Amino acid sequence: MTATMLGVMIVLLLLGFPMMVPLIAGSFVAFFVYMPIPPEIMVQQMIAGIRPSALVAVPMFILAADIITKGHSADRLIDLVMRFVGHLRGGLGVTAATSCALFGAVSGSTQATVVAIGSPLRPRMLEAGYKDSFTLALIVNASDIAMLIPPSIAMIIYGVISGTSISELFIAGVGPGLLILVLFSVYCVIYAKRHDIPVLERASWAERIDAVKGALWPLGFPVIVVGGIYGGIFSPTEAASVCVVYAVILEFVIFRSLKLAELVEIAKSTGLITAVVFILVAAGAAFSWAISFNQIPQQILGALGLADAGPVMVLVAISVAFFIGCMFVDPIVVILVLTPIFAPLVSGAGIDPVLVGVIITLQVAIGSATPPFGCDIFTAIAVFRRPYVDVVRGTPPFVAMLVGVSAALIFFPQIALFLRDLAFR
Amino acid sequence: MAENGSQDHTAIPAQGWLRPLAALDGLIARLEAAVLAAGVILMAVLSVANVIGRFVFGQSIFFAEELNQFLVVLITFFGIGYAARQGRHIRMTAFYDAMPDRARKWLMVVIALITAAAMFVLAWYALAYVQSVLDTGRVAPALRVPVWVTLVWAPVGFVVTGIQYVMTAVVNLTRPEVYVSSSVIDSYDDSPTEV
Amino acid sequence: AEWKFALEEAIHEVQGVYATKFKEHVEANSDHTIAIFPFGTLGESADITELTQLGAVQFANASPGFMGSEIPELNIFLMPYVLPENPAVLADFYKTSPTINETLAGKYPDQGLELVDMYPEGEVVMTTKEPVTSPADLDGVKFRVMTSPLLVETYNAFGATATPLPWGEVFGALQLGMIQGQENPMFFVESTKMYEVTDHITYAGHNTFTTAVIANKAFMDGLSDEDRAVVQAAADAAYDYIIDYQQGLTESAEAKILEAKPEMTVTVLTDEQRAPFRAAADRVRQKYVEMVGDSGKAVLEGFEADIAASKERAGES
Ligand code: NA
Ligand code: NA
Repeated sequence: MTATMLGVMIVLLLLGFPMMVPLIAGSFVAFFVYMPIPPEIMVQQMIAGIRPSALVAVPMFILAADIITKGHSADRLIDLVMRFVGHLRGGLGVTAATSCALFGAVSGSTQATVVAIGSPLRPRMLEAGYKDSFTLALIVNASDIAMLIPPSIAMIIYGVISGTSISELFIAGVGPGLLILVLFSVYCVIYAKRHDIPVLERASWAERIDAVKGALWPLGFPVIVVGGIYGGIFSPTEAASVCVVYAVILEFVIFRSLKLAELVEIAKSTGLITAVVFILVAAGAAFSWAISFNQIPQQILGALGLADAGPVMVLVAISVAFFIGCMFVDPIVVILVLTPIFAPLVSGAGIDPVLVGVIITLQVAIGSATPPFGCDIFTAIAVFRRPYVDVVRGTPPFVAMLVGVSAALIFFPQIALFLRDLAFR
Repeated sequence: MAENGSQDHTAIPAQGWLRPLAALDGLIARLEAAVLAAGVILMAVLSVANVIGRFVFGQSIFFAEELNQFLVVLITFFGIGYAARQGRHIRMTAFYDAMPDRARKWLMVVIALITAAAMFVLAWYALAYVQSVLDTGRVAPALRVPVWVTLVWAPVGFVVTGIQYVMTAVVNLTRPEVYVSSSVIDSYDDSPTEV
Repeated sequence: AEWKFALEEAIHEVQGVYATKFKEHVEANSDHTIAIFPFGTLGESADITELTQLGAVQFANASPGFMGSEIPELNIFLMPYVLPENPAVLADFYKTSPTINETLAGKYPDQGLELVDMYPEGEVVMTTKEPVTSPADLDGVKFRVMTSPLLVETYNAFGATATPLPWGEVFGALQLGMIQGQENPMFFVESTKMYEVTDHITYAGHNTFTTAVIANKAFMDGLSDEDRAVVQAAADAAYDYIIDYQQGLTESAEAKILEAKPEMTVTVLTDEQRAPFRAAADRVRQKYVEMVGDSGKAVLEGFEADIAASKERAGES
């Protein structure tokens, strides 16, 4: 029955149905065929799925990102980085990766990062001679870093569901995030050397100081978010809304780059993206509830014989399950479905839930950039108007590096836990 | 996912007896857009007001969390209809994109009709759910409004979305191009677009 | 048949212990089995109450403090200095109070529910960054409460800045200083590691966390007399067990906390120190009567009479 259900879902997915339909169809089967339950509960669970107040951060970060991309802040931040590394071989690629990490520090969302960093940087990379397939793959995959560097929607959701401290998760994500940034940067340099990409002229210190001056206001974003959260002024969720207000002040009052009518337009488009993502969260929540109610995960895990598995085996199982899950389903949905299922195994094996959270976040980040389903891929399709295959063509080397980092995390947990222990233990 | 500059427009030809229907469809589109924009902006204002209230005035907005949850429901269920109208619902189009136009057109008709059916069934269930909440007389603890008022947007959103998918099937059957939604032709052009 | 029992807490916490006892008794005395769904597996408190109303699960914990949106009178359980502070009086009160077992229980059928049992989960303590001995110590303290007008009123009356915050954000908010206090029963302070991010525990005797076991009404009506008796006996057995189990639960939780964090201070306020908090509670009573109306006033008066009777039985005047 479970196989039939998943089969139906995959067929609907591959035929090009809106993503919500396979999830709804799976729920129909689980609710009404598997074990008849009053139908109202399906809708109750959909609405319960979008109730966690941490989800408010999603529209807020998308809104903030959209405002600063349409305005001047994003451009100025990119200029700043380029003045310092643009003259180096692969500097533009490294700039893209670094910008994603920087933007990750203000946005919690990989999609927002694709929009905010990809929109201004892609034309510059194409101009410089990078291939579009490399450029798109770099933007889509480097956006993964946004999820590991705080704040992070994936970590907020994992923290809420598993009852793990969100602040510890945030700190633990920094190490792996920086490791990925380093790997991607090295790859960009190698790629630029092999393809003989010309470098920009080295910026003078006067130009660099100019760029710093130009980016002073936008540099307030990381200052406000980090200072506000770590200074105890607001919660990570509220930080997103504070970013919106700061973005509005910058672009509408200080830079005067946007008009009020544009704010309405941006808010509308934010609402649209929010709805498109949240209806999948809702449908996924109903599906996961039905699975939980029918005790299917227990059956599958029982069949796998993982009950007494050691920490490494459990972490490998978690990585593989989340990787496969994220290949097909929206990453947020995968966290909602799988986290509670693995919770007993995690506590049974005595694994630090913060490490699990980081590993899950990494898998989810990889998944959001990996075919067939990947919300970043879809965002890129929408923003850059390129067909599906163009967007995914260059991804394999990046995915390979990310999988390598996952393996490293399992065997060297200190990559994630070092900073956490330093701060909290 | 293309917008093709046709947003807020309706697929219903504005002529003869269809004119009132086209006007209604256009009105719904505008209402959806207005609710999305207002909802998102209100959410930001509310959260920041709560921060300022707590930090500066030592007074939290006690209903902020409930109102934000309500706004999320409102945005989601107004948004799905709007997204269906714009052809913006997320799809895995690798195989679909590889098909010839004619096959895509027929597949789109099938997809639209099955999706519409799923939406109408969900609308029915959602109505049953709202009814059951109405029967309990549940009141939101902070906002002190009946809970069903915050949920009734679910059946409304599913019905509106279902109608959009029916219209998508209709335009695909009555016009030569392939439509991904009632108002958007399925093609990639080179002009940049909003997200 | 298999009956489903959904909880608001993890399986090792108080509700889980009760449900496990209930399950054992039912399974030993009938052909029925019980599947327990701990916190999170089927949803939050409001979700599992709805699931019970809709008949998807047969039994659930629905703490009256969370059910105030369906039955407003139940908000009384959130109010400070209403419930007796002596555990023996409290145990007698839940068992014998006509206001609970007739008046309040009589409101559940309108919701498609039946009240099976009501039991305490331990005294609610404040955990804070700074020591608290008087309302003045709470001045300027951002104190996390659940989203409830009565709790907001309570902590504002106590002198704090009541700050409603989702549970998932409480730990981080305490850690980073966004809030400086929160309240919960002692066992929960221990199991959720709240003591890691606060330095002082204060017993002010203002409340005891109360939970209720509810059942779907149609399900209960459909039970044979024999099965009904099994359910009732299981609830009685679990009640006695959980009252015993709680003897010392607060103390053992406190001991565990002090072992993990010896510098934690624990203060039991004296009667004299509690007086100003008691006085502040008057404002909350007015708010309750204002919110709930005459039936709320009747329940409040009923509680006072029933508690007086329980005190007499327990030999306390
Ligand atoms: Na981030
Ligand atoms: Na994927």
